[in-house]
Amino acid sequence: MKTRLRRAWPYFLAVGPGLLAASAGNDAGGIATYASAGALYGYGMLWAMVLITLFVGVVQEMSARMGAVTGKGFADLVRESFSLRVTTFILFTLFIANAGIIVSEFIGIAAASELFGISRYISVPIAAVFVWLLVTRGSYARVEKIFLGLSLVFLAYIGAAFLAKPDWHAVFRQTLVPHLRFEVGYLHLLIALIGTTISPYMQLFVQSSVVEKGVTPDEYRYTRFDVIVGTLFAGIVAAFIIIATAATLYPKGILVTSANDAAQALEPIAGPYAKVLFGLGLLGASLLAAGVLPLSTTYVMSEAFGFERGVSRTWEEAPIFMGLFTGLVLLGAVLALIPGLPLIRVLVGVYVLNGLLLPIELFAMLRLVNDRELMGEHVNGPVYNALAWGIAWLVSLLSLALIVLTVLGWFGVGPG
Amino acid sequence: MFFLTSLVDRPVQGKTGEPIGKLEDVIVRIGDPYPPIIGLVVKDGRRRFFVPATHLQSLNGAAELASSIVDLAPFSRRDGEVLLRRDVLDHQLIDITGRRIVRVNDVQLTRVDETYRVVGVDVSAQALLRRLGPRVLANRIVGRQVIDWNDVQYLASTAPVQLRVSYDRLADLHPVDLARIVDALSYRESAEIVAALDEETAAETLEEVSDERAADLFEGMDQERAADILEEMTPAAAADVLEDLSDDVAEQLLARMEPEEAADVQALMAYDEDSAGRIMNTDFVRVPATATVGDALATIQSLEEVPDPLLAVYIVSAADPDVLRGIVRLRSLILAKPETPLLDLMDDDVPTVRPEDRAEDAARILAEYNLLAVPVLDADQHLLGIVTVDDALAVLLPEIWQRRGARAAFA
Repeated sequence: MKTRLRRAWPYFLAVGPGLLAASAGNDAGGIATYASAGALYGYGMLWAMVLITLFVGVVQEMSARMGAVTGKGFADLVRESFSLRVTTFILFTLFIANAGIIVSEFIGIAAASELFGISRYISVPIAAVFVWLLVTRGSYARVEKIFLGLSLVFLAYIGAAFLAKPDWHAVFRQTLVPHLRFEVGYLHLLIALIGTTISPYMQLFVQSSVVEKGVTPDEYRYTRFDVIVGTLFAGIVAAFIIIATAATLYPKGILVTSANDAAQALEPIAGPYAKVLFGLGLLGASLLAAGVLPLSTTYVMSEAFGFERGVSRTWEEAPIFMGLFTGLVLLGAVLALIPGLPLIRVLVGVYVLNGLLLPIELFAMLRLVNDRELMGEHVNGPVYNALAWGIAWLVSLLSLALIVLTVLGWFGVGPG
Repeated sequence: MFFLTSLVDRPVQGKTGEPIGKLEDVIVRIGDPYPPIIGLVVKDGRRRFFVPATHLQSLNGAAELASSIVDLAPFSRRDGEVLLRRDVLDHQLIDITGRRIVRVNDVQLTRVDETYRVVGVDVSAQALLRRLGPRVLANRIVGRQVIDWNDVQYLASTAPVQLRVSYDRLADLHPVDLARIVDALSYRESAEIVAALDEETAAETLEEVSDERAADLFEGMDQERAADILEEMTPAAAADVLEDLSDDVAEQLLARMEPEEAADVQALMAYDEDSAGRIMNTDFVRVPATATVGDALATIQSLEEVPDPLLAVYIVSAADPDVLRGIVRLRSLILAKPETPLLDLMDDDVPTVRPEDRAEDAARILAEYNLLAVPVLDADQHLLGIVTVDDALAVLLPEIWQRRGARAAFA
């Protein structure tokens, strides 16, 4: 027993980056997307979460493996393996995807503050200045854990789901039996689900943390354990958010159009405090990502193109780095302040965009992970590879289907 | 003078101008100050073959060969050889003079006598734009920033073959700059850099590297070398490193260190991370109260290793060298006559701190009393060490340290 425990120990020590990366998917946009799915289609999208969780696992695992084998981050590998034009294209799509998510984090801040009755015209500018100062003054690491702690509030959805007394029979049936609907609304939300669960920044994060730690191919099995645990955990939390909203909002026909609606699903567990609880969680998750994402995006771009970088640099020393970082924070804050912005719809929209851009990243990743000169014996095995390619094509086809259906919709042609 | 990106993917011509294939890559031998081209990789359809540099007639504009007969041996990689496009272009290098990491946007080549050599790398944004736009526009973009090949450090881990790379140029970098580079590189690249440094420089560098990276580097190192480097570090820095390692590894490393140095480090590890005891210096000069100025100077001169910085000598009771009587500043010591008794110069009204006191408080005392060092006494009034301004500065300006660690947390 003791030796078994000792052998298991390194696995638990390795839990960290994979868990954190996967949980990061449960941010403002993630909550909005999952809550919308539950409110609109009840348990009808649970089956998709099972598949998407498998997808996330496969994609995250490939990222972590590339990091462990090559010792390099994704952007580095792209720049060193693809032509400059292809590199620019891939990194541009990553940039757009991340910029969209940064906007969504500031929208999350806006929505959270409005739950507390504070106008977003006050909270968002303050948050932007706050985040900018924290990061450039180098004190971000100190508050990071507080934000992370706040975002754990979303675990309350698990309790809420149980207390809402869902029809467990229906839950299990809908989880196990896939059924796809070819409607714009359904596909839209399905792609948003994929986009929020498999966000490029999660892969960038997990790969770079493996590289930072200097994980070797020999130690990789511990990292893989971390990735699997993280993926399962995030998938379960997401599924419970869908169950909670499906059990509370769906029967009443409440659509999630504001943070207030999403907070209602917490009422079974938090009663009158549902709004406060939800608001705190949303604020924590959004502030966490609002600092990390602009900075890591700026690092990725600066490293790939070789610009001088580092938060301790001055504007004269690293103009592009500082400019890009400041620009991203500013962009997020300004867009979140557009008057009359339908917050939840924009949040979901950001992840639709993410889902549409995802195939580009997936195909690039598949090329790299199967490059023998880079990966040696650690390229994908045949079955695994078929699965990975299948995922990439499936996501591409769904994205294409959404684009076609949307365009047809503009001309008033429906699929019936 | 010409550039790699204007050559690759262009046709390679035989003696009479007939096309042989497309230039895929240029092979150089690393090791020379300016690496010579030893061959070309030419692609014809799906075949990639090797053309030795001796067949090369001209490389200006497009590659022209002196003969039309080429050996069709398929190309394969060999140790000591680097492909300019595959292993240098678009990869990271260290710019020694600029003290930074750069990415190669183009490679400059030139003909020296009969051989073509790499002479520099272009790191400008213009070089990127030239490659991004259509070829017609490329000539309209002006501006280059070429760094001499002699001023860059190529990282051997970049290429998938065995390379003998000289790391001599790294010695030109200040340990603080080296530390910044080590923090910014990926783990494997940073391990390559640290492995190339002598123990003393490695110790000075690792003292400045972020805690997480330093711990990872020590864990990945050969234990004998790790112990040697720890011995070279200040005991306080070594204690910080060992604290971040797993207990097993820390114990093994301590066991491999010289017993005396290990004891110093272990003594410091007994105190909390933010305490005066942790940042104090145990390396200072004690002189008995009966001594004269001449005796004190002689003591200092006879030391094998003189403490640095040397700010004062600490006067202890002749009966018990652990009991502090007072201090004599170096300034008074130098100005006084050799036969003057130290007691005449001694300042016995010195503020002191306890090892458990917070490091910040020690720093505050230094600032308030305008001191360069404050003695640390335990509960029995025994002298344990001193906290110098240098040590205190690190406490007073934590953001400098924080910033350095910032990258590890985010990117």
